Formats: sequence, structure tokens, C-alpha cells
Amino acid sequence: MGAPQSPGSDHNRIVVQFRRDTADETSVHLATPRGLHAEPDTPTSPAVWAKGLTRRFGRSVAVADLDLAIAPGEFYGLLGQNGAGKTTTIKMIVGLLRPTAGTAGIGPFDTWKEPLEVKRRIGVLPEEFNLYERLTGAELLDFTAAMHGLTRTEAAERRDELLALLDLEQDAAKLVADYSRGMRKKVALAAAIIHRPSVLFLDEPFEGVDAVSARLIRRLLRGYTEQGATIVFSSHEMHLVEKLCTRIGIMEHGRLTMEDTPDGLCRRMGAETVEDAFIAAVAGVDERDGPAWLGTSPG
Amino acid sequence: MVGHLAWLKSRLLWNGLRTDPQRRVGFPVAVVALGAAAWYLADRYREAMSDLSPTAGRSFALWGALALFSVWVTLPVVIFPLDENLDPAQFALAPIDRWKLVTGLAVAALIAPSVVVLVLLLGTNVVVLGAAATVPAAMAASLLLGVQMVVGGQLFSTAVSAVLRSRRGRDLAVFIIMGIGLSGFAAQALVAATVGELGLEQAVLAYSLDGAAVLLPPVAAQNVAVAIAGGEPVEAAVSGLVALAWIVGMAWGWMRLLDWMLTTPTESPRPNRAARSRGMAGRAWGTRKVLARKELRFYLRDPRQRLVWTGAVIFVGLAAASILVGTGSLAVFRRQDWLPLVAPALVLFVGLPIALNQFGWERNAASYLFVLPVPPRSLLLGKNLATFAALMAETTFLAVALAALSGGWSTLWLVPPLAVCSAALQLAVGNVVSVVTPLRLPREGTDVFAQATEQGCLAIASQVVSFFAIGMLMVPPASVAVLTVAFGEVVSPWVAAAFAVAWGAVFYLASIWLAGLLLRRRLPEVVQWVQVS
Repeated sequence: MGAPQSPGSDHNRIVVQFRRDTADETSVHLATPRGLHAEPDTPTSPAVWAKGLTRRFGRSVAVADLDLAIAPGEFYGLLGQNGAGKTTTIKMIVGLLRPTAGTAGIGPFDTWKEPLEVKRRIGVLPEEFNLYERLTGAELLDFTAAMHGLTRTEAAERRDELLALLDLEQDAAKLVADYSRGMRKKVALAAAIIHRPSVLFLDEPFEGVDAVSARLIRRLLRGYTEQGATIVFSSHEMHLVEKLCTRIGIMEHGRLTMEDTPDGLCRRMGAETVEDAFIAAVAGVDERDGPAWLGTSPG
Repeated sequence: MVGHLAWLKSRLLWNGLRTDPQRRVGFPVAVVALGAAAWYLADRYREAMSDLSPTAGRSFALWGALALFSVWVTLPVVIFPLDENLDPAQFALAPIDRWKLVTGLAVAALIAPSVVVLVLLLGTNVVVLGAAATVPAAMAASLLLGVQMVVGGQLFSTAVSAVLRSRRGRDLAVFIIMGIGLSGFAAQALVAATVGELGLEQAVLAYSLDGAAVLLPPVAAQNVAVAIAGGEPVEAAVSGLVALAWIVGMAWGWMRLLDWMLTTPTESPRPNRAARSRGMAGRAWGTRKVLARKELRFYLRDPRQRLVWTGAVIFVGLAAASILVGTGSLAVFRRQDWLPLVAPALVLFVGLPIALNQFGWERNAASYLFVLPVPPRSLLLGKNLATFAALMAETTFLAVALAALSGGWSTLWLVPPLAVCSAALQLAVGNVVSVVTPLRLPREGTDVFAQATEQGCLAIASQVVSFFAIGMLMVPPASVAVLTVAFGEVVSPWVAAAFAVAWGAVFYLASIWLAGLLLRRRLPEVVQWVQVS
């Protein structure tokens, strides 16, 4: 990243702004006049909500009677051990999985009653890359932009700027199938934000991403929430959760068992870091040793 | 190790049956359908053998083995896979001896519904040949033939998969399919003409598989029993050795091919220059048009979809076969002026796998598509636009080829309205079927053709029904077209053309309304059905 770009005369451009707002990192602001501040639809409604959300798979309960309310502008960390129900919850909120009971939505819109209104307002970066591997990176972004109703010019400009921002310019003409894991993550992130959603769902967004890009993405996301967007973030990398999230929800066995700010969580659990607090919250103190045979020299 | 792979396959099958409703319904359907087909063939084989003299019967048995082997080996590539194979890539890092690996994969391939075909046909072979030769000889012959079929099938589909891995290979696949189509239809026409002329008894005696033909793998295997029946134990022993050598040779070729495939990456298709420089924003814009363009690109870039669309060349093979053979039922069509009007119906055979499964081809990307804010009806319209364009291109290609073949240029102008009608009816039925019973396609493994028969059997059953439904819907416009071209224009050609377009449009509009409504309600279910875990 070079010098900050100044807002240009073309109002459709994504303007990359740097603002030194924290001691260690700057924020990158994506700015367009149209829907620049991804505002919540009504000031009173939560940006993301769920009421009594339940999902059963046969006899097992993946998500149980989950109530959730995330305010606009929050950087919300959804934490939990593997199988706690985080991905299932996100899938139900975005409309990819039908709840067994309860409902969820974005702003004033119920996902299951007004799915299109919800989808216009969200961007999703799933943990597994279910991208179109036989499109090039540029084509994928164009396709997503067209589906979100952006004009051709808007799409082309945003695409080029996002590709440049995420260091994918040189690989824009390559098929996504030929991308590395980190590159796929970056192009998936670009596809998730190209339409400037008011709510962004990110499942392990930093997995496989190199350190330089990871820092850039962190800044970009932080800047995004500062402009009013809401981010729901699921990750097992606790130092990132600690750095980025303004509030954390911990899920266990499909239930939301704890919600607090990172500091509040640490205080509550008597821990110094979010990682310690999380482990204390979900697993208690685990002093199990590994199997004895692993302690012997390999043969 | 072989046992471990067999256990793995059976466990996967069992777990699939326990957890996947498609499999639970599809497995028994597949077993019954394949069993019924095999029973019919076995019965015909037994009947023919009992009607023939011993000498003719022995010749017929050799021909039967050759036909069975050829169909078994090539059918998965031409039509749809009959076997579910374990993906060898999953064992690439395992410390397994390569010979054990291919043996294990071959044994595992038998743990599938299609094994019912092998058991019934080879069982009948044992019974029929056992009476003529000895039961042990018949069993040895059938066993050798069975192993050859399994290994040969694996080798052939792996070889075609290897061809499809390269950029040029994907174009070559067209010629492979055309070759299979051409030789298949030519062989069928030749056999039908010869048997029609001479009768089965004289035909198999006149064209017995002797000399070098005995060295062919299935013929050598079958000859173990046939030679015993003819009182030639030495020939039987030699045939057995030849058959064994073929098994070892095919397994070795398969193993080498796997070695190469496991260490060589698949070549991605190279996007054309316009796509490289401008992405998708360069031409038509808007949800439906961009979705259609994405689909069209996938028709070219996805090896499986490319194979579907290039399947039209099978009909070119059919036409070429009729020219080469020059006799029989196919030649009759060559003299008909209306032959080009068959093109819209022929294209039904080509486009159906895509028209009836609009979302299955998305596989896991369905979840990407379905979080986009596009009304379900627009999704269907965008996909339909691409399928319609491809169907029109295919119909034009076939109609012109058939006009050139028959000289029926005068009826060519009726092809466009009939093609529009045919495509509209295909999409009308296809949209509803795509939403109600989408077919899950497996993740592409090392072997492109590896998939479970029973996995999508429920959808395949609905597709067969759909095929007949489309055929029934085409009867009225086809009848009007016949009145136009075959009975001295009883109906004005303009009326026929207008009727065809209107008929197709009515059904299409009704379908797009219904399918849009269904998709809106069933969207999460469609995602669940098409996603590959």
C-alpha cells in the first residue's frame, strides 16, 4: 500500500483512506457516496438478530433456542469450540439453512419472510470457499457486482480497486481454481464487500492469509465498522478476536452462554487474555497430558 | 490392504444410506432398475443360446462377451457412471503398494448397485456355458471376464479423465465421444443388418470370432469355456493365459496412469483474451444476462458440462454410420426431406442433463449463489437464457448437418420455431424438476466419472419421467409440423410455426412462474441437496 488515495471526483470509486486511529494500525476506509455509511435501516432495530433460533439434525441439536442482538457498528466475535453451532447459526441468519424453530434477520427484515431485502444488505465470507472456481478473479467480482445490481462502471471500478488493494491485480485474469488458499480468501472477501453491505459475516477470514494481507484486511475491516457497518466474525484465532472485536459471544453446544466486551470477558473469567478467558469459559482448566507413546522418539 | 479399501467403500455406502435420503430412496431403485435390465439381457442371452446349434452357440457366446465388455467399459463415459469409485488421490500419501492399491480400488468398485448386473449376467454365463462345457471352466471364464470388465472399465474412465485434464484433451474428448458414438451405431447397424439378412444362427457362424480376434481380452476369457466345450483344452489354457495377461496389462496401465495423474496437476482452462482483459463487465450487463454469461463460460470450462454439450456429436456419428453402412433402418432416413426437423428432438438427448438439473452443476457454489440478492425467478431466467442459447446453437449445427445429409434444405426454415418450442418445453419441465429433485453431482476426483449410481438415482428417475413428459408435450407441435411437410401443406407452414412457438411459450411461462415460487420456498433444501460434503 502506498500513499493514501484522496477522494476523487468520480463518486462511484471506492476511496481508500488511511486514518491513524490506533497506536499500532491504521484503518482503511472504503468510501462511496452511494450508501457510504452502511446505515442501519432503523435506528432502533439491531443490525443482526435472532429469536429462539433452533436447528436440529435428527436427534442432535446444533443450535438451541438462541437469542441474539447485535447493534449497528459492532464488531461482534462469535466464538466457540468446533461443533458449537457457530456456522449453523450464521447459515440460518443468512438464509442458507432453514431453522427448525425461531427466526432471524437483518435490521427490520426477517430472513425467512423477506430474504431478498436481507441479502441486499449482507456480505458473506464463508469458512469453506464455495466460490466459482472456473471464473477468473475479475469475473467473480463482476459477477457478484452484477448480482447486487451495481452498474457496469461501478462494478469495473470497484473491482479494479479491490484487486489492487488486496494485491490481486496481477492474478485477476487467473481462474480462482488456480489461486492459493490465501488468494481465494482475499478474492472471497472482495466479493463479500464489493456491494458495501451493511452487515458482513466473516468465518475465519484470516486463515491462510499472509501477514501483510492480514494486516491490511484487519485495517479494512476496522475502518468498515467505524463507518457504521456491522461485522459478525467467527474465528479460532483469539489474538485477532481480542484486537478487533467490540463484543464477544461464546457458544457452547448450540447455546449462547456468555456475551461481553473483550475486557469484560477477561474480568469476568479472571484472565489476562481473551484466549485464556475463552478456554476457562468453555473447557475449564485442562491439564491432560498427551499419549505416552508420543513422548517417545519417532521410529 | 485390499480388504481395508473394500471395508472403506462399504462403510461409505452404508453411512451414505443411513444419512442421505436421496441414497435411501435411490439405492433400492437403482438395484431394482439395474437388476431388471440385467435380468432381461440374461434371459435373452439364455434364450438365444438354447435356440442355437452348439457350434453357433459357442460363437455367439464369444460375441456376447465382446459386446458386454465393450458396453460395460464405455457406457459410464458416454451416458452416466455406473460405478462409484474411491478417489485414488485420497491414498496418494498412504504407504500402499501400487498393485495393492489398484486391486483394492477394483474390489471396492464392485461394492455398488451395478454389481447386480455383473452377478446376473456372469451367473447366467456360468449356467449356459456350464451345460456346454464344464462348470469349473464356465466359472473360470466368467471370473476372468468379470475381472476384465472391472479393470477395463476403471482403465478406460481413468484414461478419459487423464485426457480431460489437459486443455487440448478437453477438445480431444469430443472426438473420443464421436468415435464411441460412431463405432457403436455403426456396429449396431451392421449387426442388425447381418442378423436380419442371415438369421442369428448363420450370422454367428459366418462371422465367428476366430484367429487374432481370440486375443481380444473378453474373447480370450470367454474362450476358456468355449474351447473346453469344443474339446480343445490346450486352446482353453492358452486363452486363459492371454486373458490373465490382459488383466495384468490393463491393471499395469491403470496403475501407471494413476501414478501420472496423482503427480500432475490438472490444466485449468485458459480464459479467452476478452475475459482476461475485461472480466465480465465488458458486454451485456444485468443480473440475468451476467448469470447467463457465467453459465455459458462454465459450459466451456467445466469438463463435465463440456462433455454434455459435445454429446451432440454422437448424432453426427449416427449420421456418419448410416453413410458408411448404407443399409438398414438408418439409411431410410437419409432420403427424407423432413430429416432436419428431427434436430430439435435430437437435442433433447443432449441438453437434458443440464436443463433438468440447473442447480446441481453449481455444487457447493450454490451456497454462494443463493446468498446473492437475486429473485429466484431471475436465477432461473438467467440460467435458462444460457441453456436456450446453447440448445439453439446445437440445433442449428444438427439441422444443417442433417439437411446436408438428406438434401432437405426446403424444410430447414421450420427448424427455428420447432427448436424454440422444443427448448421451451425442455426448460419448462426442467425448471420444475431442477427445483423439486436436484441431482447432486460429486466433487471431481482423480476420476471425473467416479460417482454413485444410487446417489442421484432419485433425480435420475425423475429425469427419465421428465424425458417422456417433454416428449408428450412435443406431440401436438410435431403433429402440426408433419401436417405441414408431409401432407401437402394441409396446414399453412406459418400456422405451424406460430403454433409451435405459442405452445412452447405457454408451458414455459407457466413453468417459470411455478418453479420461481417453488425455488423461493425450497431454496435451503436445494442447497442441501446439491452440496457435496
